[in-house]
Amino acid sequence: MRDSAINLENPLLNSLKRLPGVALMLLVCIVVFSILSSDFLSIPNITNIGVQSTILLMISLPMTMVIMTEGIDMSIGALLTFCGVIAAYFLAQTQNLPLSIFMAIMVGLVVGLLNGAIIVYMKMPPFVVTLGMLGICQSLALIVTDGQTISNVGDTIGLAYNAKLLGIPLPIYFALVSYAIFHALLYHTRFGTYVFAIGGNRDSLKLAGIRVNIYHIGVYALSGIMAGVASILLTARMNSGHPTAAIGMEFDAIAAVIVGGTSFEKGNGWMFGTFLGVITVGILRNGLNLVGVQSSIQVASIGLLVLVALLLDGFKAKV
Amino acid sequence: MTNLIKELGNTTQFKNIFFRMLVVIIICIVLSFLTEAFFTTNNLLNVLRQASLLFLMASGLTLVLLTAGIDLSVGANVGMSACVAAVAMTSTGSTLLGFLSGIGCGILIGVGNGLLVTFLRLPSFIATYGMLWILHGLTYYMMAGTTINGFDKSFRFIGSGYLYGIPVPIYIMSLFLIGGSIFTKYSIYGQQIYAVGANPLSARLSGVPVNRRLMLVYILSGMTAGLASLVFLARLNSAEGDIGENLTLPAIAAVLIGGTSLFGGVGTMFGTLIGALILTLVLNGMNILTIDGNYQALVTGIIIILSVFLDLIFRRKVSS
Amino acid sequence: MKNHRLLCTSAILLSMASSPAFADGEKIAVFTKNQTNPYFQAFRLGADSAAKQMNASTTHYVPTKPDSIPEQLGEIDDVIVKKPSGIVLIPVDYKAINPGVKKINDAGIPVVNATDHAETGNFVNWVGADDFSTANAAGKALVKALNGQGNVVILEGVRGVVGNTNRVNGFKKAIEEAPGIKLLASQPGNYQRLQGLQVMENLLQTYPKIDGVMAANDAMASGAIEALEGANRKALVVGINGSKEAVEAIKAGKMLASGDAAPFYQGCFATMSLIRSIRNLPVPKEIVFPPMVVEKATLANYDVAPDKQSCPAWNTIVK
Repeated sequence: MRDSAINLENPLLNSLKRLPGVALMLLVCIVVFSILSSDFLSIPNITNIGVQSTILLMISLPMTMVIMTEGIDMSIGALLTFCGVIAAYFLAQTQNLPLSIFMAIMVGLVVGLLNGAIIVYMKMPPFVVTLGMLGICQSLALIVTDGQTISNVGDTIGLAYNAKLLGIPLPIYFALVSYAIFHALLYHTRFGTYVFAIGGNRDSLKLAGIRVNIYHIGVYALSGIMAGVASILLTARMNSGHPTAAIGMEFDAIAAVIVGGTSFEKGNGWMFGTFLGVITVGILRNGLNLVGVQSSIQVASIGLLVLVALLLDGFKAKV
Repeated sequence: MTNLIKELGNTTQFKNIFFRMLVVIIICIVLSFLTEAFFTTNNLLNVLRQASLLFLMASGLTLVLLTAGIDLSVGANVGMSACVAAVAMTSTGSTLLGFLSGIGCGILIGVGNGLLVTFLRLPSFIATYGMLWILHGLTYYMMAGTTINGFDKSFRFIGSGYLYGIPVPIYIMSLFLIGGSIFTKYSIYGQQIYAVGANPLSARLSGVPVNRRLMLVYILSGMTAGLASLVFLARLNSAEGDIGENLTLPAIAAVLIGGTSLFGGVGTMFGTLIGALILTLVLNGMNILTIDGNYQALVTGIIIILSVFLDLIFRRKVSS
Repeated sequence: MKNHRLLCTSAILLSMASSPAFADGEKIAVFTKNQTNPYFQAFRLGADSAAKQMNASTTHYVPTKPDSIPEQLGEIDDVIVKKPSGIVLIPVDYKAINPGVKKINDAGIPVVNATDHAETGNFVNWVGADDFSTANAAGKALVKALNGQGNVVILEGVRGVVGNTNRVNGFKKAIEEAPGIKLLASQPGNYQRLQGLQVMENLLQTYPKIDGVMAANDAMASGAIEALEGANRKALVVGINGSKEAVEAIKAGKMLASGDAAPFYQGCFATMSLIRSIRNLPVPKEIVFPPMVVEKATLANYDVAPDKQSCPAWNTIVK
């Protein structure tokens, strides 16, 4: 965030200027919706926003890293769906919760590794590889379910989404833990340093003798693992497995990451920005529902939000 | 000296084209082997016509990718332009107005995208992504769950008509292919576009008006989407809110399969045509062979990965 | 000229429902699956008309991503916070909606289930028609028009959506019951007009003799008709939805019939049931609209477009 040469007189405006675009949008949304709807700031509603944002957050965190390495994971929505279907399938067949969770995460890991391996070893563009994998996962989900919803998953899994600990729903804990893990990974481990470098300065890593490829694949594997973990929450939320449940979510994740300040070039990334991006979209959707805005206008607003958040960043840099 | 370089260029180009056509030919051979319904004049014309719709959309998109950008809004653009044209035609009864408004809408959207990318300096992924949502929202609002149908025969000709036994969209596609290829290979604009994609900084330093060229490619992308929407409209004979919904990813896939790189500077109009052909052939094959719907996305996904993989191998072999 | 939603001013002129006019203003939340399918648009218009007649108001909740289960569940969470007087619910998926219904029940908000039977939950009642029997009736109309002999293809909708599965099964049942009818192929058109057209084109190449087409919705049926005309071939086509476009095509002789699940009436009676129940008036446990087929013979009933219709009186349907 560059400060301009001119310092505005007003201290409030000055500190607002320092905030990234996404944070400004977040504030604006909170203020506007608090005014427009008396229910917005209620505890149940805030809790809702947090819980609803968890799944998206869990796939946006690894997406941040992927984008930092100048890559992209178009398959994560379909993979999330597929893993959810796997979890539901095993639950329905065996009623064994630990096994089902294990299988879902395994599948996510395998697909993530596949993505990474093809991208890194066959040197193919991530967009293409993950786009193809999107189709593959989508089909696999349809094949396993034969187009039907799997719903006899038992009662335990729903607890992952609905149970509360100390009055706070479990998903919020999952979200915070996931965030903490990824924050630590990116900023406090060697892996994280390499992630920055893979995007920004890959050759320096190679010169230092580091096996870049392993770490590069690791980023996609992480994406796959998180898809598997998030799929448990998804299955818990719907108490069933459905072959088209999360189709398209990759775009939401990518948008949240970019709105949060991470960009495709030069290994520049901000994990907290992704967090803010996810929350802002969640607040926008929730607020629009509370106000009762027509769906087509909601669709347009989401586009506007994305544009304005980034415009604010660009605008601030000029002022 | 320049003549020599041109010559070398030509043989690589030729090999490029030949190899890409090879993939198409292989698919055709396999399909002909699997079913006798494939290799008939009717079916081939059918495939070409379907591919032309896809190609029209993807042609402008190719230019955007050449500059290392992306236009995610093409599908929504087609949807909105088609609906605008439909509204214009049915409320005023004028086919000409329909044409103008459809293309105009496409161009306007292109201008919007261009401004976001050049003037406001947004990354193209996000700019066009935001535009996509805005366009969808506007289209849904405008159409409100209704359908407009029944257009003039003269209008429908561009989508459903035949000229000397060949469907009209194929002629339009050929025009775009030739025009687009000339534009990209031989015009100064085209060369500058490649330069911008390959290295924007050095392009700017060598005097290329980068912003103006970027603006141009987004406008062209919007324009071809607008034109494509008219052909779609003419073919479908109706407009609904969700026309554009599943069109963007196939268009991008067609451009990528055709050998255009997301990082800019590499790619041809002909390559996009091949990409469009490959995708259309695969779908045609799956329908004819009545492959279960559950498996169709898988087949398409694998084809996408394989085609780009083969293309990359070939390119590496050639350049080594 | 495109109007967003015509307010049914004509509703006031028609005979009112026999229920006494309470001083009201109930706020009803209506959930539908997507914005573009004319079926749901008709449903929403019916709901609006009924609410207006009964002095209540409706707010519509439609996922911004068509048929998105997580979004619908999120909308339910948001709406519960607002505590509407009642909810009319068309679930995107009848099984995955279970947790959402539970939350509505736990919040004590009365809810009417429409169109798709939710698997579990407490509802005021169920209002709808049956996808399976509607498709079956349309299929039978085709079989009858073909005199029980001929080759038929099916254009399916979106895999993974239960309504589609039921419709396709309804078609297949009609074919099974006619030994002289042969099912050549059943391919997905994803409910999209263009895909229906292109799939039909491809099928026309494969099969020199196609006598009938059963399409899971009117948009694909239209696409099939265009494909037939373009290839200079003839076949009888039936669709589902009973949309305005289908009515016109049937009038023009291009389409044979369309299965009508009476979405406008469903909207009317679902909303009326809900409001009546809130006002402690008697309401039947189920209101099932028999499968209707729009064809040349029954066209007279379909002369008015949904946005100009108004709800009939309660006692015309409910005795």
